[in-house]
Amino acid sequence: MQDLLSSLVTVATISPNKKDLDAGTVSSVVITGIVVVFIALILLIVSVSIYGSLFSAAAKKKAREEEEAKKASAAPETPAKAADVTDVSPAAPFIEDGIEEETVAVIMAAIACMSSSGAKKLVLKSVKTSKPQRSAWSSAGIVENTRPF
Amino acid sequence: MSIISSFLDTMAALARESGFAGFMADGGWKNIVMILISFVFMYLAIARGFEPLLLLPISFGMLLTNLPGADLYHPDFWNYKTVGDNDHYIDYGQILQHGGLLDILYMGVKLQIYPPLIFLGIGAMTDFGPLIASPKSFLMGAAAQGGIFFTFIGAALFGMSAAECGSIAIIGGADGPTSIYVSSQLLTDKSTIGVGTIALAAYTYMALVPIIQPPIMRALTTKKERSVVMGQLRPVSKTEKLIFPILVTVIISLMVPSAAPLVGMLMFGNLLKESGCCDRLVKTAQNELMNIITIFLGVTVGATTQADKIMNLQFAEVMGLGVVAFSIGTACGVLLGKLMYIVSGKKINPLIGSAGVSAVPMAARVSQKVGQEEVPTNYLLMHAMGPNVAGVIGSAVAAGVLLAIVK
Repeated sequence: MQDLLSSLVTVATISPNKKDLDAGTVSSVVITGIVVVFIALILLIVSVSIYGSLFSAAAKKKAREEEEAKKASAAPETPAKAADVTDVSPAAPFIEDGIEEETVAVIMAAIACMSSSGAKKLVLKSVKTSKPQRSAWSSAGIVENTRPF
Repeated sequence: MSIISSFLDTMAALARESGFAGFMADGGWKNIVMILISFVFMYLAIARGFEPLLLLPISFGMLLTNLPGADLYHPDFWNYKTVGDNDHYIDYGQILQHGGLLDILYMGVKLQIYPPLIFLGIGAMTDFGPLIASPKSFLMGAAAQGGIFFTFIGAALFGMSAAECGSIAIIGGADGPTSIYVSSQLLTDKSTIGVGTIALAAYTYMALVPIIQPPIMRALTTKKERSVVMGQLRPVSKTEKLIFPILVTVIISLMVPSAAPLVGMLMFGNLLKESGCCDRLVKTAQNELMNIITIFLGVTVGATTQADKIMNLQFAEVMGLGVVAFSIGTACGVLLGKLMYIVSGKKINPLIGSAGVSAVPMAARVSQKVGQEEVPTNYLLMHAMGPNVAGVIGSAVAAGVLLAIVK
């Protein structure tokens, strides 16, 4: 036992070509290895947990503040909204001929999806077919030449 | 008449110098056997899909190196020259002057260039989100490294040298680049096994993860434990994901400096990915760079599988101890999972512990599959990815420890 303990303390490095390793050397490698791996990863657990909890606390606080702000702004607005509806309907988006209602609905849905989180409400003003600035061939050429960038 | 005789002489000389004559020469039969073995690995890679991206280059390197007279790789160039009492070095001047193609490419392995670059690519592909959301997964990733150190004992019992023990043990980390990194640094020309042997064992067993792990996982857990359904992980913000790689690099590199090349590059790749502003670099690290390095690494590691390093008893020992290393690693992970199941009040499914041996993402998929056998609606995959990526960090640390002790 004494030998084993002393070799645990003394064996710092082993030569690669050393054969027939004794029990003390081998157990020192095993114990050092497992202990170091655990210490390293436990250190990571502690630090990741600390900043993880900091961030989730900050996120919660932000969410609560947002909710409160929403509540505060929602209450007085409700009667105004009802009045707004009639105002908004005449300003319906200008839609060019030849564009189906379904397409407009899809564009509207995409906008609603992308802007769902913000307090701002986006309005679709008009839908037009885009006129190509360049011919199909020259656009293809530009795409080909600028692709690597 | 003289024309005919000189023609015959030339033909005879060509025949003597040809590879066919090499097969007839002393020990030439060993090359034939090695070529046949390379065919077996090619079959496993192509027809059976065993880690083909690595096993195919390795097996082709094996074929190239065993063709007599091709001179693509010279094992004797890699012998250490001893200087003084303790120092030894490889004569890279000789390799650059007279080396074959595979000698030149093998410098990237011996000089520790390829494995960290592969880690760069792995980092650029890995999402550490599940680990950040559940940091306790690190424990299972650490426990699964037990396979490495317990196998060290096994290898020592076979009377192997310290370098051989360390190289065989690291197979238990279930991480190919790490195994190559450690073994190429530890093994010397006096070792009876080569880097190629270690790589072959590591990649073969990594491909066999879905066969090796499930029986161990089932044997160590009860039906009740396997049926634990785990809830969703919390979402992780971008800032947390950005801090993580920097934090891990600093902590691990300060603690185990010899693990810095692997962990540093892994985390650098991850930071590139998470930063979201270096798309071109991320794409290169994930695809082009990684593929180029994989080709170089595979074919040169295959080239080190010379007949005298494979056709001996040690090869069988490496393969035997390799599977032991894998199994103990899996068992340690599952056992720690069981402990966490008890401590957490039956909230953690111990099956995710087996994913602590790296082998990303195969080991996590195995946890998912075995879990779904009990409860078909149980999705353990994301929970298992935590220990899985922790295992990559854990095995890099274990590699650093082995390199720090054996030198």
